[in-house]
Parts: sequence; C-alpha cells; structure tokens
Amino acid sequence: MTSSQVVKTLIVDDDVSTRRIYRMMLFRFGFEITEVGDGKSAVDQFLTGNEYDLVLMDKDMPIMDGVEATRTLRGMGIPAKIIAITTDANSRGAFFDAGADEFLLKPVNFTALADILKAFNFLN
Amino acid sequence: MDVSMLQRTYTDLLTSLFREGILNQQFIELQQLQDENNPGFVNEVVSLFFEDAGRLITELISNFNQQAVDYKKVDAYVHQLKGSSASIGAEKIRSVCQTFREYYDKNDIQGCYNCIQPLKQEFMTFKSKLEALFALEQQIVAAGGSIPMMRH
Repeated sequence: MTSSQVVKTLIVDDDVSTRRIYRMMLFRFGFEITEVGDGKSAVDQFLTGNEYDLVLMDKDMPIMDGVEATRTLRGMGIPAKIIAITTDANSRGAFFDAGADEFLLKPVNFTALADILKAFNFLN
Repeated sequence: MDVSMLQRTYTDLLTSLFREGILNQQFIELQQLQDENNPGFVNEVVSLFFEDAGRLITELISNFNQQAVDYKKVDAYVHQLKGSSASIGAEKIRSVCQTFREYYDKNDIQGCYNCIQPLKQEFMTFKSKLEALFALEQQIVAAGGSIPMMRH
C-alpha cells in the first residue's frame, strides 16, 4: 500500500517512542511526517502557516491536551483529518465532540490504522 | 557459538518472554515494521522506552519519598508509562500501571504505594531481558545470520 499523493502528517504525542512507531508506520506509506510533543505545539504548527492533511492526536499531554487541541484546530477552521489515539477509552465522546474524525485505542494496530487511512482516501 | 545455535538461543529467549507475559502481541507488530531499510528499528524504539521509562520511574520513586506526595503528578507519570509500555508490548509493565491506576481511582493510597516496587522490578527485568535479546541479535547478524521472526 502506498499513497498516490504526499500526505502531510502531524504526529502529536508526548512519548518519543510512540512517535517513532507512528513515524515508521506512516513512512511505509510514503507520508511526510512532522512530530510535536504537546497540543499547543500542534496548534502552533498551523498558526505559523503549516498545512497538514492528517493529524494523529494523543490525549494526555503537557500544556494542552489532545481534546482541547482538537477543539482549537476545528475552531480555527482546520480541515485536516484528525485521528485521536489514546489509552483512555472514556475520551471517545469528548474527542468526537471536539471534532475528531476517528478514534483508536493504544496500542495502535498497523492494519487498523491502514483501514482508516484507506477510508480517508489517503491510500491506494 | 555457530549461527544456528545463536538463532535457537534467540528463539528460546523470545518465546520465554511471551510465555512469561513480559511481552505481548504488540512487540510482534513492531518486529513486522522492521525491514532491511530500518534494521535497528525495534532496538531504537525499545531504547527510547528504556530512557523515558527509567526517567519516569525515578520521578515516581522520588515523589513517593517526599513528605507530601503529589498523587496527581504520580498518576500522570504512571499514565504516561502505561501508554508507552503498551505501545512497545511491555505487557507486565503495562499491567502494573493499570493496577496502580485502579487503586488511584479508588483513592487507595496504600494500593498505589504497593505498586511502585513491582513496577521498578518489572522494568529492571524487562530491560535486562531485552538487552540480552538485542545482544543476541547483534551476534547473529555479525555471524552472517538473519534474526528469526516470532509467528502470531
């Protein structure tokens, strides 16, 4: 599976080993990847004019959590697909209310992520 | 030791890690992401985990040694450790973190405290066994062999 377009992706997670795993998963698809470690840095990426097609958003992070970051991005009119990825199953409703497009529980399964990316038409 | 003997030792060690519940299926997911273009991927991710988890556990123990324990901070550390251990398949560490959080949710401070030593122990065991596994990998590759893959 590959992407026919360059999918610009922002990985938002405060754990560096988790970010490395997502990077490897998405690298396989040919995505272009940027990483940040908290929700405020994610918002700042868009505020400084960067554009992304896809955001992988953790929930519990310092400074600004993932639900708040998602809500802020939607408030800014950011149309990027946002996949919430967290160990907190109870946060599903909060993420969708904030404007997330999909929700996955950690640990992320490569196939489950690929299925979502196909549904988003990011993969052939 | 010849390559086939090293490979057998590696397989036996990896199998025992799954049998003892130290690793779970997620570790196989990581191995399957590794390829000839990124041969050190699993080693790299696990090494990042060692560094981060070691720091979190040190902070946890330091917090518990304070006169006034900041349980909210402690819970945040454990939550982070639970997420990162789940991501790499460190099942026993993840499980102790889960137990801690169950005690925390019930305001059972003694229960929380009783999780700290097992958490430290499980981390030390995990680190030592994975370091042995990666050392075997290096020996296998140096001897011209390939790393045996664990089946689902």
